[in-house]
Amino acid sequence: MTSSVIGQLIVKDWRLNGNLISILVGVGLLALVMAQYATGEAVRLFGSVWFFVSLGILATMLPTSAILNERKKQTLAFIMSLPVSPVQYAMAKGLSVAAMYLVPWVTLLASALIFIETRHALPLGVIPTLLIISMLPMVGFCLTSATVLVGESEGWLIAANIATNSSYWFIWYLITRIPGLKQHWSGPVAVWNAPVLMVLSAEIGLCALIVAIAFFFQSRKRDFIH
Amino acid sequence: MTDFAVELSGVSKKYRYFTLDDVHLQLPQGQIMGLIGANGAGKSTTIRILMGLVHQDAGEVRVLGHRMPAQQVAAKWDIGFASEDMRLYETMTLSWHMSFIRSIYPKWDATYAQLLLKRFGLHAEQKIKGLSHGQRVKAALLLVLARKPKLLVLDEPTTGLDPVARHEILRELTAAMADEGRSILFSSHNTQDVEQISDQITFIDRGRIIDSMDKETYLDRWRRLRLEVPLGVELRPLPGIVGVQRQGRLAVATSNAFVPDLAHAYESAGVHVQRIENMTLEEIFVANVEHNREEVEA
Repeated sequence: MTSSVIGQLIVKDWRLNGNLISILVGVGLLALVMAQYATGEAVRLFGSVWFFVSLGILATMLPTSAILNERKKQTLAFIMSLPVSPVQYAMAKGLSVAAMYLVPWVTLLASALIFIETRHALPLGVIPTLLIISMLPMVGFCLTSATVLVGESEGWLIAANIATNSSYWFIWYLITRIPGLKQHWSGPVAVWNAPVLMVLSAEIGLCALIVAIAFFFQSRKRDFIH
Repeated sequence: MTDFAVELSGVSKKYRYFTLDDVHLQLPQGQIMGLIGANGAGKSTTIRILMGLVHQDAGEVRVLGHRMPAQQVAAKWDIGFASEDMRLYETMTLSWHMSFIRSIYPKWDATYAQLLLKRFGLHAEQKIKGLSHGQRVKAALLLVLARKPKLLVLDEPTTGLDPVARHEILRELTAAMADEGRSILFSSHNTQDVEQISDQITFIDRGRIIDSMDKETYLDRWRRLRLEVPLGVELRPLPGIVGVQRQGRLAVATSNAFVPDLAHAYESAGVHVQRIENMTLEEIFVANVEHNREEVEA
């Protein structure tokens, strides 16, 4: 019975955030079309940047809308009056925001790959880097969500946003310096060499670590509503 | 053996500037208990503890036989909880909320929900952000009542409501008690509301339960005695008198254990009892708090 409550909480989050997700997927797809079909280089660059920006905005806005606003707008007491424990609530919230981010993330990334494969506007060699760079907003999303879930305040959200948004471009710069990555960008095939797999593993591992830490702190909470 | 809907024993919770201290509370099944206290007295903390939302530092909490907070999921299936600071999703309609709650509670009574919609004058398709404060409280109560809980826990449900809305809410709560075995615990600083519907009354002040008994006993025991003290007669303290205010020859004594013999005792001591007055629950509450604070500070 409890699993059905968790399921209903997930469905509820989807219903509440459906518009936000649709708008940002639309923005991401539009940006992708611009990046692939525009003739001017500036417009193509603008499209490429906005493709990642849409993932970044989603990584920031989903935790705000789905987690922080539940406290800020005082709907948390309504949810916690239902037959769920704080840990089950955190589980439902974690699953729903993860799914709400993963679906548009996969949609946009798959669209980008389809464009690359079919349009040939970009070489196939860029695919591993595209995946690595697309994972950055995913890490940022995990960090922001975990921070808001555990920290329970707007202050913590702002701190997490500053940390993630300011680090994207710096990490992007570092990635371009990794040997074994840059030389294959313009190649005709995607090369999945050790540096690529190592960076991807680090990103996935970081996501898993953040989630585990968040659940550890959440399970130790004694006061759920202040 | 009495079955209790709510049972708190030795419950404590310490915050930096507030301590809930050794709370003992028992609400028998099928009764309505009003928890009265000033702002910041500990009403909401007590309710959050019994809902499992805040963990007590010490003591035991049982709600409908379930240990809290460990068994809060099992307990919450049969608890309807609404609080003054609880909000619904503003961008969604009441109908959406009803459908959401119905998807969770198999006991959701759709016919009763429709009846409450009519009684409260609510429109299911209206968005929550378009509702007045009174309508929001009624909407929250509808969502709680239609799930047919065994226990209703309401934290300041009538705060900020106009007299008509308050009357409607209290009438519905009374009607909800027609369902035998249902219990209600509600907090308020409005003694009129509590007096109107409660069987049991508990006073809480500065984190401590200062008194808890059935309403009739309160009203029977508490009296105000208007006295005239002749010159040269000493007004001695008598058992059962918790406060005396004196102005010249006139005095007002407040008793929390009134018996007719008390008046005779004054008369025997040479003090003339002018009048014995009943007290309202609000007067009892204030006198009780003042007496308790004097005792603590002494």
